Amino acid sequence: MSQDTQNAGIGSGPHDAGAVPGSAPLGFGAAGMDRILKRETHTSRAVVSVIAAALVMAVCGYALLETAVRAIGQPPWLVDPQTAAERVVALPAGIGPLLLVATGAVIAMAGLFFFLNAVLPGRRARHLLPDRRAAVVVDDEVIAAALARRARLAANVTQQQVMVVVSRNRVMVNVRPTSGVPLRPDAVLEAVRRELQEMGPWPMPEVRIQVATAGVVGA
Amino acid sequence: MNNTPRVLNRILIGILGIKLLAIGVLLVLLASVPAVGVWWHVWAGGVLSFWLDLFERTQFPNRQGSWLWLIICFVLVVVLALMVAWIAQQGKGRTSLLVAEEDPGDVPGNVGIGGGVAEQTLRAALADRPDLAGVTVAAYEIRGEPALKVRVEPRQGVAPHALAAEVSSLIEALDAVIGKRTPVLIHIGSGARSRFGRAERVR
Repeated sequence: MSQDTQNAGIGSGPHDAGAVPGSAPLGFGAAGMDRILKRETHTSRAVVSVIAAALVMAVCGYALLETAVRAIGQPPWLVDPQTAAERVVALPAGIGPLLLVATGAVIAMAGLFFFLNAVLPGRRARHLLPDRRAAVVVDDEVIAAALARRARLAANVTQQQVMVVVSRNRVMVNVRPTSGVPLRPDAVLEAVRRELQEMGPWPMPEVRIQVATAGVVGA
Repeated sequence: MNNTPRVLNRILIGILGIKLLAIGVLLVLLASVPAVGVWWHVWAGGVLSFWLDLFERTQFPNRQGSWLWLIICFVLVVVLALMVAWIAQQGKGRTSLLVAEEDPGDVPGNVGIGGGVAEQTLRAALADRPDLAGVTVAAYEIRGEPALKVRVEPRQGVAPHALAAEVSSLIEALDAVIGKRTPVLIHIGSGARSRFGRAERVR
């Protein structure tokens, strides 16, 4: 089990519209800073855009080839545009229904992927930290690692026995105690909570602890 | 914090997604619902005959063939060029100058301080810290104003608020050197080097 993980879900949680990072307690109040923070905590969809553009370019490139070949009166490479159009009009005929359903499902899935990427808020798994000079953005993974370290020290267990999952509004501390050694969840919870208070991420997540019932032997 | 056109990305991806979704659902319906097949024959047949008619009416005056093919070629080339332009817009906004101002002294001319100054000083200041796996400093232009992005990759277990405070005090020192407060973003992230490297056990 790794020491820390984080979940990077695209847009989980119902409240996103009003959650502009500008209301964060930040020391630096420049005009463009809100915009920078908004852009840093949300994905730019650059990769998806490049994939989409490449897809459109591939389709258009092939169509251009066949159209150009047709325009100068040469024999087609794979299929003549007019023949292709006639086949599309005749569609349920000329192709196996199973293949048609499969093709449709694949295209619909790709469409759903692009559509959801465009519509969902696309929040990144990051939190903001207060600072008097600069705007600070922290990956949830880093927060999880720091909290895992604190929980490990408080619980007096090894690194492999603690796993912390940080999401936008919740910190989940999973501890597997050493067999035979009692563990006080309240003390661990308190230590993690204090570390988080000190850190002061925005939005402030709520800490929960889960102690595994089965212990680790010989840790 | 680069100048990727985010709204444009969302709109174009959304349009493509809706179109693909519609095509996919149509194909599935064509294969599974016979009534849709009948409707499709009528509708798409009408569209096809409209286009065939258009091709008939756009023949070259003195030889065989329609000049509509050339128009379609042109449109496709334009679409391809637009797609290339769209890709080229991604991740734009890096700048090389951190400060560019007119010198108020007697000698005419401008003063420019490159982003490399900030990068070199911050890297040198953070170089021998054992709790960092990497530092990247880049200057971006936000609405015409230069801004600095400092990305630090701490090793596992380093407290981010302590690290942020130390980096921001370095930046205040940099402010004093440069003589101008530029907006700064500190990004404390995790990469492959910090994830798979050794954890910072004692500090």
